[in-house]
Amino acid sequence: MNKAYEALKQGDTVEGPKFQVSRETIREFCEASLDFNPLHWDDGYMKGNFGKTKFDGIIMHGMTNFGLITRMLTDWLYPIGGIHRRLETRWKMPVKPGDTIQPTARIAIKRETKRSCWVSLDIVVRNQRGESVAIGEAMAEFPPV
Amino acid sequence: MSESFETDFWKDEERRKVWDDIVPGEPRKTIPYTLTLEAIQKYCRAVGDTHPLYFDEAYARTTPWQGLIAPPSIHILLMFSCTPADDWMRSPGTINAGQSWSYNIPARPGDTITLQARALDKFIKRDRLFVIHDNVFFNQNAQVICSGRGWTIRPV
Repeated sequence: MNKAYEALKQGDTVEGPKFQVSRETIREFCEASLDFNPLHWDDGYMKGNFGKTKFDGIIMHGMTNFGLITRMLTDWLYPIGGIHRRLETRWKMPVKPGDTIQPTARIAIKRETKRSCWVSLDIVVRNQRGESVAIGEAMAEFPPV
Repeated sequence: MSESFETDFWKDEERRKVWDDIVPGEPRKTIPYTLTLEAIQKYCRAVGDTHPLYFDEAYARTTPWQGLIAPPSIHILLMFSCTPADDWMRSPGTINAGQSWSYNIPARPGDTITLQARALDKFIKRDRLFVIHDNVFFNQNAQVICSGRGWTIRPV
């Protein structure tokens, strides 16, 4: 069995980087992801209503959360020989310029299968007020060494 | 890529399918894309990720990956680089409600990436128009890089 996997315990936590969101970081993500949806750059457009939702200004790409969660997982997994295998996320509330967000993960399940070892993690991204802006589940593999 | 990429998502709006036109099961038009190191590193910087596996060739050669790779979440960029300007994912007001992705092998600089994509389902929930779409990215050797499913709320 993989030694790194053996050392992990249910309830262990992983803390990701704090990320300060600004109009500039949102613009940089537009350029890097090629996602130029006006939700992320057009203040005039964002004064409108979106069904029952009103944003009152531009919002961060939901996928920035996804990228930060991935960064947290790979920073944790690369040094211990784990492989990031899956990430599922749901967005709970919009993130706006001025917010600071941080992902965390908690090991929920350890499971050995016929050919490998797996860990499932519960994920949450919180803003500076402690509000959950995104939640999800991830899965990492620890292959036999 | 970004030099030729149409960043005005309003420009082709009239040519895009609206929720009514989207047929679950019907393949979306996609285009092959050559992933450059520059594009990988630009994406990494946008999420503050400066891991040497993405930036330091000499270091990356010493790892099990034996060279530079892209982070798993590079599909965020690939979704737009592998679809044409009239793809409905660009429709202004498209709201991303959630995503799930599985990762097989990493994408690498120089890979020619192709995408197979389609809407799988569409429905109305709490007065909102939803589409579920699935996406699989392949490299030039027909190996699966990653596969994913997304939930988007379509603009009215």
